Amino acid sequence: MRAFGVTETAVTIAIGLVLAAVAPRAARALGEATRFQVRAVAYEGGQASPRPNAPRRLGWEVHKRTSVDVLRTPGSSRLDDASIFDHPFLYWSGDAEFDELSQSELAGLRRFVRFGGFVLIDDAAPGTAGFDRSIRRELGRAFPTRRLRELPNTHTVFRSFYLLNRPEGRVRGPDHLEAIQLGDRVAVLYARHDLGGAWARDNLGTWEHPVTPGGDEQRERAIRLGVNIVMYALCLDYKDDQVHAPFIMRRRGGGP
Amino acid sequence: MGTGFSFGIPGGAVSAGILAAAMVALVALGLRALRAEPRTTRRRVLYALRIATGLGAWAIAVQPRWLTQRFEERDGRLAVLVDASRSMGLPRDGEARQERARALLSRWADSERGGVSVFTFGERLEAADLERLAEEAPARADQSRLGAALAELVAGDDDLGAVVVVSDGADRSGFDPAGLARHGVRVHSVAVAEEGLRDDAIAEVQADAVGFLRRPARVRVVVRSLGGPGGPIPVTLRRDQEVVREVAVEVPANGEAAVEIPFTPERLGRAVYRVSVPRASGDAVPENDERAFLVRVVRDKLRVLLVAGQPSWDQRFLRAFLKRDPATDLISFFILRNTTDLTMAGPDELALIPFPTDELFNEHLGSFDLVIFQNFEYGPYQMASYLPRIREYVLRGGSFAMIGGPLSFHSGGYTDTPIADVLPVELPRRGASRTIAEGAFAPRLAEGMERHPLIELVPDPAQNAAAWGRLAELHGINRVTRVRPGAAVLLEHPSETTDERARHPVLVLGTAGEGRTLAFTTDTSWRWGITTGGLTGDPSAYERFWDRAVRWLSRDPTLEPARLTTDRERYGPGARVVVQGTLRDERYVPYAGEAIELVLLDAAGGEVARTTERLDREGRLEGALSLPDRPGAYRVEARRAGRDSGVAEEWLVVETGGDELADPRADAALLRRLAQATGGEHWARPEDAPALERIDATRRRSQGVDRTAPLSSPWAFVVVVGAFVAEWVLRRRWLGARG
Repeated sequence: MRAFGVTETAVTIAIGLVLAAVAPRAARALGEATRFQVRAVAYEGGQASPRPNAPRRLGWEVHKRTSVDVLRTPGSSRLDDASIFDHPFLYWSGDAEFDELSQSELAGLRRFVRFGGFVLIDDAAPGTAGFDRSIRRELGRAFPTRRLRELPNTHTVFRSFYLLNRPEGRVRGPDHLEAIQLGDRVAVLYARHDLGGAWARDNLGTWEHPVTPGGDEQRERAIRLGVNIVMYALCLDYKDDQVHAPFIMRRRGGGP
Repeated sequence: MGTGFSFGIPGGAVSAGILAAAMVALVALGLRALRAEPRTTRRRVLYALRIATGLGAWAIAVQPRWLTQRFEERDGRLAVLVDASRSMGLPRDGEARQERARALLSRWADSERGGVSVFTFGERLEAADLERLAEEAPARADQSRLGAALAELVAGDDDLGAVVVVSDGADRSGFDPAGLARHGVRVHSVAVAEEGLRDDAIAEVQADAVGFLRRPARVRVVVRSLGGPGGPIPVTLRRDQEVVREVAVEVPANGEAAVEIPFTPERLGRAVYRVSVPRASGDAVPENDERAFLVRVVRDKLRVLLVAGQPSWDQRFLRAFLKRDPATDLISFFILRNTTDLTMAGPDELALIPFPTDELFNEHLGSFDLVIFQNFEYGPYQMASYLPRIREYVLRGGSFAMIGGPLSFHSGGYTDTPIADVLPVELPRRGASRTIAEGAFAPRLAEGMERHPLIELVPDPAQNAAAWGRLAELHGINRVTRVRPGAAVLLEHPSETTDERARHPVLVLGTAGEGRTLAFTTDTSWRWGITTGGLTGDPSAYERFWDRAVRWLSRDPTLEPARLTTDRERYGPGARVVVQGTLRDERYVPYAGEAIELVLLDAAGGEVARTTERLDREGRLEGALSLPDRPGAYRVEARRAGRDSGVAEEWLVVETGGDELADPRADAALLRRLAQATGGEHWARPEDAPALERIDATRRRSQGVDRTAPLSSPWAFVVVVGAFVAEWVLRRRWLGARG
């Protein structure tokens, strides 16, 4: 904010103006194709959709909580299907070992990532090694020169909408996410926390899986992480812009 | 007749030298064995034969050759070449060089020698009349291009035998006199020089043509002092009439010293800076006490403000592109939530910040080169009071782009607002229905706009249309009612129409006041990147399009449809400026064959000179204008016939001294070398030069080279073998078993 010389007074006034003036949104997208859609990755072997309601619930939460225009019917595509390039956010989930990807699937994944797509990988069985082993094997085949690396919890993903301190899902899991980066951009994000298990609700609104050990508070943080991940995919390092820094530092307790 | 020497052995003199050393060693070893002969006479005979054998063997091995060049000599015509540059008008306080030259020419004007052609040189070679030069020798030209004039004179004229140059030799282009010798034309020279010129001068100024706003810049200034005591000389840098900085530079007597002067451009646009030294007492060339230079002051980075009404793929890919460009300083603000959104968190749990509307649209609006509203509605943010400011920003020269989406154009509430005034399209009335058209479509290239760089994926029109056919389809448009007069439609919807039954525009460019505007009525251009890449493997169309769109909006000179250039940036008084240019209309179609007026204007806009040129088929022109004597900044404007405003312009500076007088010293040594290199004569003073009848105009041309190799004969080999045999026989007889 220093770049614009915003004072405390101006901040207060601006907040007041925004809050006072915002009118209900009557936006109508220029067609369904322009909306954000969570698209699940379909693949051979294993269980490609261990939390079938998770993509829809993630879309719903993003729609409810943010200004993103969401297509609330999630899609599903194989990696060698050109339709993945229509909606550049892929949700790749599983809970067991799966077959090796074909060469055309690997080529599709490489192109998708290189041309700007975002892949969220969610291990629905973080207590077992099957899905994790398969994922690392396929990422190694697709990106032999780029390894999954631990993502520090200071990364933009943890402040792209909500301020978060660590990743959590249905289980508390590791204290970090892993990622493959292209330049400054996280292109593949890997969570071993069963995020979908925390998001999933049935049609009556009942949570499908208990969240341990933190219960509903942990579930809320898992949902917030999902929203942050979508926001990061759409805004990249926007929250690293200088204009945001003093606000975020203050709210994290590290600034004036 | 010229002569030379060489060796026939591969490797030439180097190989011959190595062989010589080896042969000397061999002979020396052999001579030690001959010391056994007790009789002095016999020993000397054997020594002589051994040395002769070694020398002969070496000579046959290296094959020495004598080269003899043959020349043909015949009578030729004589040409007189007179320096007409401004340095001939020096010194101001005594008898000028041109006066001394005129006296010589006056003597020659009475000559009865026939076939003498007369020329002057300066910027270029020009035919002249000796009697008129004898009355008034000119000193007007802004350059002394002696080398170029001689090259032009001797090339292709077989009858020319000699040229006699009358000059001060002040050609600083660094030409090589030896290069003229091959033509066989003698160049005689008459130096018109004087001793003891007193002159303090700005000898050289070096500064970047482009400076960055409020960024430190430097100009390197070389100061020369001739005929004075040397010492500290103050140097003053001015912008217009305002003194920017003064420094002192220690200059040795009859020497030069350089100093770098820092300065900081404070205003955008063209700036004329001047550096000067005080006029010294007795300064013979006051014109070179001051030099000027032009700086085009720009921002070091393009400043772009991107405001998006909601996160989307369209906004994500545009931000990624703009952020990646190191030449762009991107300020972006995205609306991440509305009050209708339920964040389920308190403010301290959110990374959201208030929309700094006043900072962006009041305090800092003028600092942006380009403002982009991407799917952004202004209403919820109390921004109505800022919209007139944005309109004024555009009218004063700012650039503005509106990109479509459900919160844009009519759907963003811009109908009947100041923003609508500057858009290149007209919006549906408030309350209108069907303001959005959904569905996939492949945009069509508007007829006649195929050469516009924003939509030129490849240069060939047919291939360009095919390339567009390979791009992914777009989805949905914001409807507009019509395109404003004067705006240019580049892309059209294939089936939707406007209220006027015209094809509905997708991409429109326009101007509003001094500013440029762009309307893109869809929010799916990102599909030209990743989606097209998924289909074809090539996602580059997206970034190529936005790169050119941003450059067009920010008036990148390399993307302008009309451009002028001048052969130099700085000129002396009365100099001739050569102007070249390419002129195309807003659609980038050349004004082929049109008559174009090149108008020279002073800094206040007053017309100084004018000429008319006709464009070729590609819209190119070349013309020349004579500059005035008055120093200052001028601009050349290209105007279509009958128009008062130009389609392109370029700036230049007229200096009092200019390059021609920056180094006013005569260079008699150059003239002497010129004469020596071409077989001519040199006269150090005009008074020493003979009558024209006595000047040799014999043309001397090479007829080839004769090579003589005396040891290539078999007899040479026989002689060497004979010496060897004789030495061997005598040694066996005289030394016997002792040998």
